[in-house]
Amino acid sequence: MILKTLFLYLKACKWGALSLICLCISLLSGLIVALQYDPATPYYATAAMDLLVPFGMYFRSLHFYSSQFFFLLAIIHLITAFDSTDSYTSAQWGRLVIALPVMLLLLFTGYVLRQDSTGSSAGFIAESILVAIPVVGPALNGALFSISDHGMQRVYVSHIITLDLLWLVLAWEHLRRYRIRFTDHLPTAGMVLLFSVFIAAPLDPDKLGVTYISGPWFFLGLQELLRYLPPLLAGFLFPAIFILALFFTQKRYSFFVSVLILLAVWLFSYLILTVMALSH
Amino acid sequence: MRRPPRRSRRSLLTRRSILAVGVLAFLYPLLRFIGFRIPRKPQRIEIAKQLLPGQFHPTPQFILFARENKVWAVARRCTHLGCTLHYLEKDDVLECPCHQSRFSRDGLVLNGPARRALEVYPVEQRDTSPFYIVTL
Repeated sequence: MILKTLFLYLKACKWGALSLICLCISLLSGLIVALQYDPATPYYATAAMDLLVPFGMYFRSLHFYSSQFFFLLAIIHLITAFDSTDSYTSAQWGRLVIALPVMLLLLFTGYVLRQDSTGSSAGFIAESILVAIPVVGPALNGALFSISDHGMQRVYVSHIITLDLLWLVLAWEHLRRYRIRFTDHLPTAGMVLLFSVFIAAPLDPDKLGVTYISGPWFFLGLQELLRYLPPLLAGFLFPAIFILALFFTQKRYSFFVSVLILLAVWLFSYLILTVMALSH
Repeated sequence: MRRPPRRSRRSLLTRRSILAVGVLAFLYPLLRFIGFRIPRKPQRIEIAKQLLPGQFHPTPQFILFARENKVWAVARRCTHLGCTLHYLEKDDVLECPCHQSRFSRDGLVLNGPARRALEVYPVEQRDTSPFYIVTL
């Protein structure tokens, strides 16, 4: 009974609107951070932002955490509003499903752009995965990463323009439906702005003799799987199964329940892999 | 007046075909443009510090090793997925912090998941500073 009340209460919260507020803060703080960031000297620029630029640490933290909150709240929004998604046509739902990995790539490219020890390794891993995809892989890598040949230049372009435009195109129809007013969500905005005052965004300097580094939290399961399987299987096909299954999570399909079971098994496996990665 | 459906379907098909041809025609130069690698100038890295036999010097791209009559530079990029390797002096191996592949200081694979040996760069030795010039 209590659980049901709690679920109904959570369901009634406007998670989508909260997520959108965080996106606005993320975009605005991203514009500010970009003014001091230099893709030619990425780590130096990031460290200098934290140590030298007045309020640099704050704005970097604000950009980092507002983006993280945007993603987490969007996921909660997806779960709580899942019942209503049956009204979408396949094309509308498909666009929103593709928006999900684009959102993850936005977070991921931001993580790589720091080019600290973990960001730099994560970037090279992503590049190796993309190059392993047959036919379209090298072109995708050329468009999004290409770190070996161009350093942070293309990751920067992807992060500040390409992926943002792509995400907005994919989510535009969805966003257009739900207008929000910033003034209605001042407590959320205030909490994000205040949170970043106290918690700094992570930065991992290169240290000698380090034996284990881990990628961003959403990448940990993949990092672990890459230990056992080749990049094409672990880095592309395994996540592609999840995205492909999401396309078919509409009740109109006769295999709807099977798809839900597949997603649950996938998520559970990913959780186990993440725990394994954390235990190293 | 409504157009007969057959004609409209044909006109839609024609428009779609023109669009598909247009997209394909645009994709070719786009992919060639994105995929082209501008030849990089060879990078020459100067090391001012002189190494005694048994010593090593790490840089972001390579680790320079000195032994009795030999100095060599091994790339720090893991051949598995590209993470930056660290030299563990105690075990005398280079280890990848991402998936724990291990390499000898000559760059040979000791433990997977990496399968290929590390790149070894040419080192020019000099009697005055800079004592070593490594070409990448």
